[in-house]
Amino acid sequence: MDLFTNLATGFAVALTPANLGFCFLGALIGTLVGVLPGIAPITTIAILLPFTFTLPPASSLIMLAGIFYGAQYGGSTTAILVNVPGESSSIITCLDGHQMAKQGRAGPALAIAAIASFFAGTVATVVIATASAPMAALALKFNAPEYFSLMVLGLTGAVVLAHGAPEKAVAMVLIGLLLGLVGIDVNSGAPRMTMDFAGLGDGIGFVPIAIGMFGIAELAVTLGKPQDRKLLAFDWRELWPSKAELRQCTPAMVRGTALGCLLGVLPGGGAALSSFAAYAVEKKSATDPRRFGKGAIEGVAAPEAANNAGAQASFIPLLTLGIPGNAIMALMVGALMIQGIQPGPQVMTSQPQLFWGVIASMWLGNLMLIVLNLPLIGLWVSLLRVPYRLMFPAIVLFCCIGTYSAGNTVFDIWVMLIFSLLGVFFTKVGAEPAPFILGFVLGPLMEENFRRAMYISRGDPLVFVQRPISAVLLALAAILLVILILPVVRKKRDEVFQE
Amino acid sequence: MTLRINVPDLAFAAFLVALGAFAFALSAQLSVGNAAAMGPGYVPRGLAILVMIYGLGLGLRALFSGEAAFPTVELRPLLLIMGAVALFALLLPVAGLAITSFAIVVCAGFASYDVRLRENALAALVLAAGAVLLFVTALGLPIPIWPG
Repeated sequence: MDLFTNLATGFAVALTPANLGFCFLGALIGTLVGVLPGIAPITTIAILLPFTFTLPPASSLIMLAGIFYGAQYGGSTTAILVNVPGESSSIITCLDGHQMAKQGRAGPALAIAAIASFFAGTVATVVIATASAPMAALALKFNAPEYFSLMVLGLTGAVVLAHGAPEKAVAMVLIGLLLGLVGIDVNSGAPRMTMDFAGLGDGIGFVPIAIGMFGIAELAVTLGKPQDRKLLAFDWRELWPSKAELRQCTPAMVRGTALGCLLGVLPGGGAALSSFAAYAVEKKSATDPRRFGKGAIEGVAAPEAANNAGAQASFIPLLTLGIPGNAIMALMVGALMIQGIQPGPQVMTSQPQLFWGVIASMWLGNLMLIVLNLPLIGLWVSLLRVPYRLMFPAIVLFCCIGTYSAGNTVFDIWVMLIFSLLGVFFTKVGAEPAPFILGFVLGPLMEENFRRAMYISRGDPLVFVQRPISAVLLALAAILLVILILPVVRKKRDEVFQE
Repeated sequence: MTLRINVPDLAFAAFLVALGAFAFALSAQLSVGNAAAMGPGYVPRGLAILVMIYGLGLGLRALFSGEAAFPTVELRPLLLIMGAVALFALLLPVAGLAITSFAIVVCAGFASYDVRLRENALAALVLAAGAVLLFVTALGLPIPIWPG
């Protein structure tokens, strides 16, 4: 019963004209950046972050969340029609989606992608609403040692699930933790590793790091590769999939959604991982796996459902525990912090309007997205005709202005430049930037809880294993690590990422 | 064991060691305290040492883990994109948003191998006007539009 009262509160917030507008704006921008390859939702959210400062907290989060799941819709359009993933989470959709388009079935592919996303979005909204209360209740039992152990588990998960070499992901987490400590120490007031730069007093800016590593660095790397874009035409009258196709897809959609909800909650999980896993599951469980890669409609439905479910489910740990599971959620922490809200289990009770408003807006946003995407698909497609050589200078400009506006100082631009160069370096040596961002955000929180826990225990590190919840969390982290080291699993993991 | 150097891994390891050492030097004068009452230097120094040791380990492994060359870096896009960002930082305080925007779009445009002169200039003009209208006029950011 409580659930309905809560959802009613949420819809009351989400349905105000202003919030509906922000939800629409988020969904619209999300679709746009989703369709356009070369600009990721994380960059967009980072650029827009400074502008949300003046908005009420609920409106700000509603819009930013809309960008994230909106990009999951938009990404599939590019994947299907151009065979270039609009987003990393739609890479897998290229395989069968583009094959379908080549066979003249682009319409049904696009429609099924949108339908699967909507279905997954609806289910994920309900899952968030039901799973949040018990999660937050559990989290209220947490004290400093438990929080520390939870973050250890989170970072371990991020390492296990990171693409590329896990030993490099560990290093990236460590660097992130270390750089996260730059700035004035809250306990003693001593400036730490600031090199006497006034601009580093509050720590290295989160916005310049995120925009530099994910925006600018990405551009500099992609521009080195040849750009090839061939748009496939599709027939308007053949947008709707046949009844047989719909029936064929339904189980795939359900499986994809379930997998997305599950993997989205995991630390390090989220949209991209969910879509890969869902595709692998479909291929393994199919009666005739050879159809996959040749235009199997399940190969579009499952990953598209999974990436949307995963995107939304990754809000669960953020909203209930205050712990970001992936780099985009780390940005959401930033969005909450500039509003003066400390993310954590108390948000649900102290800010019910914000909490439930954001959840309710997700369903409304999904509804808007299916409208935005299906009938307006022609509009999005025409955007793809804008050549990349005209688009990327605009992205550079927006990245600069976005970073500048976060603190109104060119100091941040220099910080962004340094992290852009670092981002290129990391890409070239095969180290993923996502674990770095997580470490960076969690660094100060982890130190704070570590210090507090050690203070309570009078310097005895055993406190982390003597408290049951903390011990369980650490044990889970240890199990994850052992699994990662086992050679059998490693081989399997490489296979999954190969696909 | 013969030396079979993995250059990207070795470069990454060297970076870790250098960063760790740098962070250690920067936090050298901070008080460490003890485990029960940690000073501001406790965690940073611990992490800096950890990063250094980890880097040394990775570096040692990279010496024998099989030959791999450093991937080629396309210098033109790298230098021009980064140059455009630096240009923004240098120009904005003196030239205002309009001129700065125009300049960095032109500069960044040349990062692409298929840049077209007139098209690029036109795009820069449109984007400069758009940036001023969107960010200063509509969103009200406190950025000067013109030099002065």
